[in-house]
Amino acid sequence: MSAEFRVIGQPRPQLEGPAKVSGQAAYTHDITLPDMLYGAILRSPYPHARIRSVDLAKALTMPGVVAAVAGTDFPNLKYVNAGPVFADRHAMARDKVRFIGEEVAAVAAETLAEAQAALAVIAVDYVPLPAVFEVEAALGADAPEIHEKPDLPRNVAQQSVSDFGDVEQAFADADHVFDATFEHGIVAPVCLETNGVLARYDTENDDLTLWAPTQAPFFVRKEIAHVLDLPLEKVHIRSVVIGGGFGGKSQAPEPIAIAAMLAIKAGRPVKILLDRQAEFLSGKTDHAKKMRVRSAVAADGTLLGRHTEFWVDNGAYTHMGPAYISAVRQRTCNLYRVGAAGFDGKLVHTNKVSGGSYRGMGSPQIIWAIETQIDEIAERLGKDKLEYRIAIANRSGDRTPQGWEIGTCALAECLEEAGRRIGWAEKKHAMPPNRGIGFASMINPSVGVLYAEGNFACVSIDLLEDGGLRVGTQSADCGTSQNTVMGQFVAEELGLDTDVIDVLHMDTDETPPDLGSAASRVTFVSGNAAIKTAKTFRAELVNRLARHWEVPAAEINFADGIASYKDDNARRLTLAEIAVLEGPFRVEDRYDIDLPRPDPKTGYGHYAATYGFGAQAVEVEIDPATGHVTVHKVVVVQDIGRVINPLALEGQMQGGIVQGIGMALREELIFDQGAPVNASLISYKAPRIMDTPRIETVFIETNDPAGPYGAKAGGEHSINPTPAAIANAVAQATGERFRKLPITAADILQATKDKAPLDLKPWKRPYNLEVATARALYPAVLFPGLRKLGAAVGRKPKPKSDYHYVRPRDLSDALRELAMPDRKTKVMAGGTDLQVGLRQGVYDAGMVVDIASLDELRGIEITEDKITIGGAMTIAEIVEREDIRAMHPMLSEGFAKIATAQIRNVATIAGDLSQEKRCWFFRSGAQCYKAGGVSCPCYAVLGDNRHHSILGAGRCAAPCVADAAPILTALEATIIVAGPTGERRIAMRDFYVWSGETTVAPTEIIRAAEIPRESCFNTQYFAKSAGWDGDFADASVAVKLGWNGSRLATANIALGAVSPLPMRARQAENFLLASDLSEVAIRIAASKSVEGALPLSSNAHKTNLLVNLTERAIRRCIAQ
Amino acid sequence: MAKIQIHVNGLKHDTDCDPATPLAVFLREEMNLRGTKIGCGNGECGACTVAMSGRAVCSCLVPLGRTVGHHIETIESLGGPDDLHPIQRKLVERGAFQCGFCTPGVVMSLITLLRRNPKPTDTDIRVALQGNLCRCSGYVKLLETISEIVREGLHER
Ligand code: FES
Ligand code: FES
Repeated sequence: MSAEFRVIGQPRPQLEGPAKVSGQAAYTHDITLPDMLYGAILRSPYPHARIRSVDLAKALTMPGVVAAVAGTDFPNLKYVNAGPVFADRHAMARDKVRFIGEEVAAVAAETLAEAQAALAVIAVDYVPLPAVFEVEAALGADAPEIHEKPDLPRNVAQQSVSDFGDVEQAFADADHVFDATFEHGIVAPVCLETNGVLARYDTENDDLTLWAPTQAPFFVRKEIAHVLDLPLEKVHIRSVVIGGGFGGKSQAPEPIAIAAMLAIKAGRPVKILLDRQAEFLSGKTDHAKKMRVRSAVAADGTLLGRHTEFWVDNGAYTHMGPAYISAVRQRTCNLYRVGAAGFDGKLVHTNKVSGGSYRGMGSPQIIWAIETQIDEIAERLGKDKLEYRIAIANRSGDRTPQGWEIGTCALAECLEEAGRRIGWAEKKHAMPPNRGIGFASMINPSVGVLYAEGNFACVSIDLLEDGGLRVGTQSADCGTSQNTVMGQFVAEELGLDTDVIDVLHMDTDETPPDLGSAASRVTFVSGNAAIKTAKTFRAELVNRLARHWEVPAAEINFADGIASYKDDNARRLTLAEIAVLEGPFRVEDRYDIDLPRPDPKTGYGHYAATYGFGAQAVEVEIDPATGHVTVHKVVVVQDIGRVINPLALEGQMQGGIVQGIGMALREELIFDQGAPVNASLISYKAPRIMDTPRIETVFIETNDPAGPYGAKAGGEHSINPTPAAIANAVAQATGERFRKLPITAADILQATKDKAPLDLKPWKRPYNLEVATARALYPAVLFPGLRKLGAAVGRKPKPKSDYHYVRPRDLSDALRELAMPDRKTKVMAGGTDLQVGLRQGVYDAGMVVDIASLDELRGIEITEDKITIGGAMTIAEIVEREDIRAMHPMLSEGFAKIATAQIRNVATIAGDLSQEKRCWFFRSGAQCYKAGGVSCPCYAVLGDNRHHSILGAGRCAAPCVADAAPILTALEATIIVAGPTGERRIAMRDFYVWSGETTVAPTEIIRAAEIPRESCFNTQYFAKSAGWDGDFADASVAVKLGWNGSRLATANIALGAVSPLPMRARQAENFLLASDLSEVAIRIAASKSVEGALPLSSNAHKTNLLVNLTERAIRRCIAQ
Repeated sequence: MAKIQIHVNGLKHDTDCDPATPLAVFLREEMNLRGTKIGCGNGECGACTVAMSGRAVCSCLVPLGRTVGHHIETIESLGGPDDLHPIQRKLVERGAFQCGFCTPGVVMSLITLLRRNPKPTDTDIRVALQGNLCRCSGYVKLLETISEIVREGLHER
């Protein structure tokens, strides 16, 4: 912190903090208006189809419905988004839909339930068209045409080719050429607050007022005015608190115009909130990309040239794709000293949700590709990977191939510091096995002139009646503390403390225009505007007093909130007194980045007022048994110019890095035929608190002459090098290079497993031959055939309907409810699966009987020979019992691995055993075998089956992921079931049948689980591997070994999440019992756990995972 | 429909709402307690966490009818913006959150943890918060702040 400043450099908590932490902050979700209606959107079930007609007539007659709209109710205008030449999307689908989830119609009704019910009766006549989901296929000559764009090749939205310098010569001169292709899947911003809007249309003077979480009110206002054909000044955006942005709220989300049109039709305010699934389905994602990077390298390591071919999956419509092209080209041409740079980019349409923007705009991925190659160059040339980077780092005074003139630059220092803090010098020759360290750098324009409107910002300052100041900025604070930072700039410039300053953001009536928070621009551009406006404010204040006091303005002093003239006590006023004297007043001013625009065609030119740099060092450890990567430590060193608010800046760094960890190792939206199958926060694996590493942030202050108080931009800097540094660390730890992101545990396991393949002995299981034959016939015959047949005669998806909820007095009351004929009744214990499943349509019930509080199902009884746990005991209650832990540690420790703390507080042992399958095809509404019956196919055979069964799957490949199942199987528990005619006892081995259905009848209730106590000494261990701590297992093993002295007397090994039913690994048990328990014997025994396995196309890693977990569990049991 | 009596933040209310209504929806829409957020509605994000008889639960998965006989505490049971609970004040001062959408849920998970376990280890803290998704903060400052809260015994004041 510098002594020269008053508030700059100080950790100021965010202005909105108290309101947020007390739950009083008003997000769009929280705002209501009198007379408000609820809107709901009908989405396309087809990835590509012509719309013949949309009939709203019936919907309009439904109870509570006030208005309904379809595409033709909107003016025939398209969103501008990336620029008029790219415009290709209407406010709502008109004659064609181009992705699953596209908006086709919408309804406004008195309640949300009524609006949703009305959607069900809208008749849309679709003519399905062939669809294409992958870039390569979309570029094929016979690919279906998604848009008619006559000036471009089929399905190409943009082509961008540029060479800076003589790239060809660079490759001709090279001693070494490196050439590799990199790919990454689609990630999503996943703001915790989903998109939503509240729209009010005032029919008297035609004013449209909007409350919506957007990073860029300026943009949204223009877009909405345009697509609704309203005068700009008639559209007003109000200030709201925003629940996260990360690029995901940087364009006009479609619900805004839809809610506005409904509000216009209804003459009443309309609110639309997206639920999480709709957010994944229609909220814009990052773009999937493929990058071929080639480097021309001289013998001494000099980068003579770099060339990148770049294919971006644009999705159905063009939003931010062109900006991705530009951002990726910048990294290609400017990261590290490179002689010449070439770029060939294509933006390609597919029938998937449109790409939007996400933190870094493609930079993290292209940096990953480049940095992987930098590592490989260093390796090939025998150079130290850190020293090599330092040698080729950009330096002050450089001009890059693209024409960037590097001013202040501390990249080399950043790299050195990162190396020191991660301990590279000491560790590099003494890396323990399975550990690795990786480095990466970044360069970011601060701030780029991507759009004409990006080059300026305006700020207002109001002197309020009470003497406080209110700073107005149209840029929106999504949680980054930028409002607080803006207040700091003004306070510093005026010599005030921040507590007299309030900041109003977003409001398009009350604040002057500004492009908004995107591309890390706010601190720099809006910050400069704030300083300039503060100067103007001071001048205005002094001039006004000069007139009053009749003294020269130059002699008036304004400091600490007091204006004074010399020592004259009569001419001395506080801000509050000035407000009384002068009345409230306002000043506005504007800052323009004074730079020539780069060549619009080639992109050549000095691009930004300054450039930010940074380096990261990461240390990781791989678990060789599971492939899981633990990120131990991240060091981030940033040349940030000047730190304005360390609290806020560190927060930006840390948040970005953890998002980068997700991008590197886990996050991916997975599509099947154009629909995301993991559109939920369990199976879309954003990092959780367990994944947070130690992060050290270091800022090198280069005090940039162009920046506000020397600051550069910062919002995206942290995420940009993170995936690259992690990937390079993983490469060192595993000895393998991965060319696809995310690098999942499965990928690592698959790449690093023992080279000797496991002997799966598939003939050991009955039916495997039939299953294998059927699978072979799936692509050509069975899948298409069954799909047709299923569509004709299969059970239809269950309509999501309301159900009655009853809470019975006692068990017999509950059983009576279940026995009532002609009623679909479901038992609800914890309800954590049932309620979700009812919404997803995987359960069907007209009535739900809540048994959670029934005395007969509560309680734990421990007798000499058994533990009896009531069916409605929660997982947490069981885990907390010390006496159970002492008797069966696996029960406590294993149950503690089920789900999350909140879920364990509600979910029950009976519910865990009875939960429906987690197959993502089934859960996302596919009419599969499990949902639709025998006439339907299993989607996992041809789809993404990484989580599915490897053992014992027949018609349905969904595994049983209840952790209680293998644990209770290994403990040889008995389930006691109460039914209309009394109780019956079911041994765990008989509890599940066929594809994992329980043998509990619909009229029965699980009363208790009975677990025998052991008479002899035994040891137990439950090993589980899951995507994240709290997720469902990919594989699990419960092992209990009984001992007679040091002799193994019994062995129970039960497998979970690898087959439709939990199963005992009998061959493994028998082998172990007969063995000498040597290391080798344990490994052989473990490898017998997969005997009879028949993996699917992309889950072979689960065989290794299962064997490794089994080995681990046996070892732990023996070690005890 | 029979009336249900629900006990929220020390006060009892009678309601004739459908007992199948998720508690989170009831709190927000019927009681106007909008501090409880909904980030997923499916028990996956923890934004809706409230205390039910002292245990942290996802209120989006608790049917209203189930709450009979339980005391529900929401974020509004702690301090308002001008009289924050010392834990809340510390979270603000240390920049432990950013957009704040996850924060009421995080605070409720934290409060229930500290009441049951006043001296939690780092692992205890992480386990208690594993169900609270925060996309902004990376959890770093949150973890640091909680350690400080525990060290200073702010929850015992
Ligand atoms: S809203 Fe309840 S857990 Fe996400
Ligand atoms: S602060 Fe935004 S989600 Fe946690």
